[in-house]
Amino acid sequence: MKYDCIIIGGGLAGLTCGLKCLDDGLSCAIISAGMSALHFSSGSIDLLGYDPPGQVVPAPFETLSRFIEARPGHPYAKCGPETIEASLDFFRRELLAEGLEICSNGRDNHFHVTALGTLRPTYLSQASVFNERIREAFFRQPRIAVLTVKGFRDFHPGLAAANLRRNALFKDCEIVTGQIELPWFEQTPQNPHEFRSIDLGRMFDSGRGLGLVAARVKEAARGAVFVGLPAVIGFEDYNRVMKRLMDLTELIIYEVPTLPPSILGLRMDNALKSRFAARGGVFIAGDRVIGGEITGGRLDHVHTRNYGDSRLRAGHFVLAGGSFFSGGLVSEFDRMSEPVFGLEMDYQPGRGNWYSPAFLDRRGHPFLEYGVKTDQALRPLDRHGRPVENLLCVGAVLAGYNPVKEGSGGGTAIATGFQAALRVAAD
Amino acid sequence: MRIVECEVAVIGGGITGAGTLRDCALRGLKAVLIEKNDLASGTTGRNHGLLHSGARYAVQDPESAVECIAENRILKKIAHHCIENTGGLFVTLPDDDPGFHALLLQGCRAAGIECDEISADHARRLEPHLNPDIVAALKVPDGTIDPFRLTSANVLDAVEHGAKVMTHTEVTGLIVDRERIAGFNCLDKRTGEPFELRARVVVNASGVWGQKVCAWAGIDLPMFPSKGSMVIIDYRVNNVVINRCRPPADGDIIVPGDTVSLIGTTSKKIPYDEIEDLVVDDDEIEVLLADGEKLIPNVSRTRVLRAYCGVRPLVAVSGKTFGRDISRGIVLVDHLERDGAEGLVTIAGGKLMTYRLMAEMTADLVCRKLGRKAACSTRSTPLPGSGKKAPLKKTARRFSGIPQSVVGSTHYRHGERAHRFLSRDPKSYGLICECEMVTAGEVTYAVRHLMAKDLIDLRRRTRLGMGPCQGELCAYRAAGLFTELGPAKGDEATRMLIDFLEERFKGLKPVLWGDALRELEFTYWIYQGLFGLTELDRPSESDEAD
Repeated sequence: MKYDCIIIGGGLAGLTCGLKCLDDGLSCAIISAGMSALHFSSGSIDLLGYDPPGQVVPAPFETLSRFIEARPGHPYAKCGPETIEASLDFFRRELLAEGLEICSNGRDNHFHVTALGTLRPTYLSQASVFNERIREAFFRQPRIAVLTVKGFRDFHPGLAAANLRRNALFKDCEIVTGQIELPWFEQTPQNPHEFRSIDLGRMFDSGRGLGLVAARVKEAARGAVFVGLPAVIGFEDYNRVMKRLMDLTELIIYEVPTLPPSILGLRMDNALKSRFAARGGVFIAGDRVIGGEITGGRLDHVHTRNYGDSRLRAGHFVLAGGSFFSGGLVSEFDRMSEPVFGLEMDYQPGRGNWYSPAFLDRRGHPFLEYGVKTDQALRPLDRHGRPVENLLCVGAVLAGYNPVKEGSGGGTAIATGFQAALRVAAD
Repeated sequence: MRIVECEVAVIGGGITGAGTLRDCALRGLKAVLIEKNDLASGTTGRNHGLLHSGARYAVQDPESAVECIAENRILKKIAHHCIENTGGLFVTLPDDDPGFHALLLQGCRAAGIECDEISADHARRLEPHLNPDIVAALKVPDGTIDPFRLTSANVLDAVEHGAKVMTHTEVTGLIVDRERIAGFNCLDKRTGEPFELRARVVVNASGVWGQKVCAWAGIDLPMFPSKGSMVIIDYRVNNVVINRCRPPADGDIIVPGDTVSLIGTTSKKIPYDEIEDLVVDDDEIEVLLADGEKLIPNVSRTRVLRAYCGVRPLVAVSGKTFGRDISRGIVLVDHLERDGAEGLVTIAGGKLMTYRLMAEMTADLVCRKLGRKAACSTRSTPLPGSGKKAPLKKTARRFSGIPQSVVGSTHYRHGERAHRFLSRDPKSYGLICECEMVTAGEVTYAVRHLMAKDLIDLRRRTRLGMGPCQGELCAYRAAGLFTELGPAKGDEATRMLIDFLEERFKGLKPVLWGDALRELEFTYWIYQGLFGLTELDRPSESDEAD
């Protein structure tokens, strides 16, 4: 088996890279060990939400050049603002081809509401989270309703509403809460009090009893025209379900991401994979790359757990294995490593340096910034400190950025994935 | 100001205070307990949960050994729902002094502790994960005991017998009336309401914090805090308590408990002013893991879940000031005799195992001081939950339709009291914490009847958030339930959620590598990445809105 490009890791960075490779006419395979971080993401793409002191960034492209200048080691600096913007446009086009509409607030950030009623700045959102109507509704409506589905453990309007009320943006709003009982609630063999977002999403997909659901939503909204619901309004057939629900209720419905699994993230994951397959990419799921041979400064082949002795060869390889929880990075009692190739990592020795004193420390946690060290072309160094010419690193496996503190996780994954594909294509 | 009057006021909601409160209540005394934090939130909840047979003390402290085995037998009767009768082994490794084995056997026999010499093969059959190199083994009636449930059951019984309990309430001053100590000024930390707690006798059962309570009364009662650290590993690698057969030292025991195993314990003398900010040190973790591995080699390949430490409440009675040498014996002080201060009694020293005996001794003294004649009944009166032997099989039949795992866990934790809240209503048995099988019904019961005032209290009552994920999903769900059940509004519940996550983080920090780090990263993504929790404290930014 030989490909132009083999990508290790099928998350946001790996899939974006794969799509761009295919777009450039390269043959491409992705080897994915399992679920990616998209499964617990908000389903919005953060580009640059916070500046270094922690203030919200209103217009990321206005600050990006300065931000990069001050941080030559940041993955964004290895892409440049033009490539970053091009990557986001590409990403939107690819998802739209799968029917997943992604909206932005022009070139500015917008806020999305969290399940705890806080606001997070983000750059791209699905249409059920941000679009022009939602934007207008936020500022026009004196009354907002936050509703949940009866019995659903993973979204509590009482928490969201209380914290929204504390927010100055909503000082003129009346925020009401309520719950709706789904008509098929008692008819499942499963305990309806243990439904997860996906169970509910699939029920919405079926379209059964949607008229009754709509009537109950309308009643529970108590006159509010703008209604927040947990993001369960359709798992696969979300466009049609959402449109019907809005038509039937004549309300503006807004989705709020729930506890994982996050349907908003899953929709994105499904759309990316489906697009990748449609473009002729090979997606090898449930396998893990366990090693490879680097000779003469080039990665010759990799082998995986399932393929045993078979060697998977490619002209280029992209490492998109993610961070610690994805297994792309590994930590031990007193050291950290990149487990597949033993690539050189950037991290502070001494376990006491890895974390901040408080869990919700404003400074974030240093371990989130640790990762594989690369040159400006995203190329890593092998265990002997020698550069590997045809291996590129993308996404959360990279060192030099803090996805949560900067609000830059999605943007970095997409931009570096895209940038790596450009380099592969150029070679 | 509100005045709360009673015959006996107990300060401290650890096991000693809870036991004393119960003993007094069962004797018909009007009793009130205050606790500055939550029940079992101090030393009581920070030990390895061992139901001592007394064997550990048989060589060096025969008096404690005798007390232990007597209480061991009593607790197995009155608190069986808090206990697992696992049995224990004392194993000798090739490096250990083989002579200690014989000394221990002799000591146990002298103390009346059933102690059988068994072959190394036999020991390995009892505990297959045991180090295959062990050279000798003794079998003793050790077991495990859950200090949270034990404390909660004592308090529940006291309350059901008319006692009053106020948690999250601290002492702010002394009340003196005609030269006798008449009570304490208190502050309800949750409502901010100050009140006077007046009693004919005040029992200081605050463990290592007892020095501070005495100081309010101008009495000097020096405590010598000794820190003990433990490591929890994420699997129950043993089913029998494994002790190292050597004189007491760090890392000499592995205790199974619920779904995990614990490696204990270190002993480090610390200055008194550090008792509020205990940290597990890296060298302690290294010692515990290295020594734990010698007992059960699997330990080194098992995920470490968290580490924590407690302070032993040792009172210097003999002038020795080093941790393991100070008596762990019971210290009961009538401050009238010692300091000329009428109205105050201190109960200190001792250990979890002897809490009932300590309570009995204290209540005897209180009765003498009050001139009341009432006998102790705690030797034979079962605690709520251990009232009837409610066999699991019978309970499971009664609640058929509810998943067996749920019935099993609930029954395991609450004994026959499970019948009070288990119900076939699907909402009630819907799981909130999937790691530890905690249902919405159990949460409701803990909030309404077991004084769970916040999520951290709730964890102590139910084990919510104590499993492998350390509260990843259940913390948010339980916060939501708090708003639904009514004791907290949305913003208070959010604050509880933050406190809970920070409390979990404390025990994770010392072991933040490998899977613990992975799990934490996931939790962080949820609560900060997905939920933006730190945004709550962000100053208003309405002018920056798009």
